[in-house]
Amino acid sequence: MATKRTGAGKSGGRDSSILAKIANHEIANKGRRAACDAVYVSKKLLRSTGKAAWIVGTSFLILVVPLLIQAERDQMLGEIELQQASILGPPPPGALQ
Amino acid sequence: MADLLPPLGTAQTDGKTKVDEKVDYSNLPCPVPYEELHREAIMSLKADNFEGLRFDFSKGLNQKFSLSHSVMMGPTEVPSQSPDTTIKIPTAHYEFGANYFDPKLMLIGRLMTDGRLNARVKADLTDRLVLKANGQLTNEPHMSHAMFNFDYMGSDYRAQLQLGNSALIGATYIQSVTPRLSLGGEVFWAGVPRKSGIGYAARYDTDKMVATAQVASTGTIAMNYVQKISDKVSLATDFAYNYLSRDVVASVGYDYILRQSRVRGKIDSNGVASALLEERLSMGLNFLLSAELDHKKKDYKFGFGLTVG
Repeated sequence: MATKRTGAGKSGGRDSSILAKIANHEIANKGRRAACDAVYVSKKLLRSTGKAAWIVGTSFLILVVPLLIQAERDQMLGEIELQQASILGPPPPGALQ
Repeated sequence: MADLLPPLGTAQTDGKTKVDEKVDYSNLPCPVPYEELHREAIMSLKADNFEGLRFDFSKGLNQKFSLSHSVMMGPTEVPSQSPDTTIKIPTAHYEFGANYFDPKLMLIGRLMTDGRLNARVKADLTDRLVLKANGQLTNEPHMSHAMFNFDYMGSDYRAQLQLGNSALIGATYIQSVTPRLSLGGEVFWAGVPRKSGIGYAARYDTDKMVATAQVASTGTIAMNYVQKISDKVSLATDFAYNYLSRDVVASVGYDYILRQSRVRGKIDSNGVASALLEERLSMGLNFLLSAELDHKKKDYKFGFGLTVG
């Protein structure tokens, strides 16, 4: 099975040296270095994205969320007042304000 | 339906008469006081964020006289040697205050549990001359100080003379140049560090916006701009540069005044985001929440408080 897989044109004894030659070739080294750099850069990118997401998220929580809550409450208060005004109707001319 | 038509007509004629009015240079309005030049920007941007608990109770005994009690508990910062670390010491104190308000005389006194007494007087000596005095007495020697201000309000100018206790003398003057633009200047001389300084300020305001700029020989250049977007919303931005110590701060903030609450938020170029929420729970009862995140120094401060009366 192993000999079948190592395939056409290569004999068993010289397998390891050819594989070693391929593995130590300059292109393979360049590929390894590129993979290392890619892992390093992606780790840094993930960390800085995480940091930025944290800063943006907490600042959003502080600056925007209370505002949205209060604006919605103000809007609901306005709706209730409008409803009450339409139910009760306009005040009569001699009414106390 | 009939009552909808006349208001449209009158609004148009009002607009036209405003534009056609010529500027009457001999009848300009009185400008705002020099130290309140940037008051709109201060209201929006310099909200007092605090840390810890704050409880204020004020009770009026009379139409003119009122007492106030206030409790503050929380960490206070102590200036530390290295700029990276902040040292916080938990403190708690109680402050008793008495206020007397009259149309012509205003007296305010505050006494704290750490022995500090703070007193302010504002008296209208005549129709145009106002005396303001401010004093602070402390237990520590050489830390007490007092300051007297004499303000004169003219028809379209204001002048102020300031006298402080350790040989501090200052004078400011501000004049309305057009109905919207006012220019002013100040000089001061401090006896103890033997320094004198001069500064200039300008303020341009319309119904919708206020822009101010200040330059001083102590090295500060400050500019701010406030735009009123609607009755409830205003946005403000501020830029401060010190050309002697070379530090720069720019900030942008908003101020939403709603019926039951007021939300103020601000973000800074030093990486500080802060917000203050004041909500009216019922008549005379206000609930305060304050938050300040300093992302650069990783210092987070939160506070809550209640104001009664």
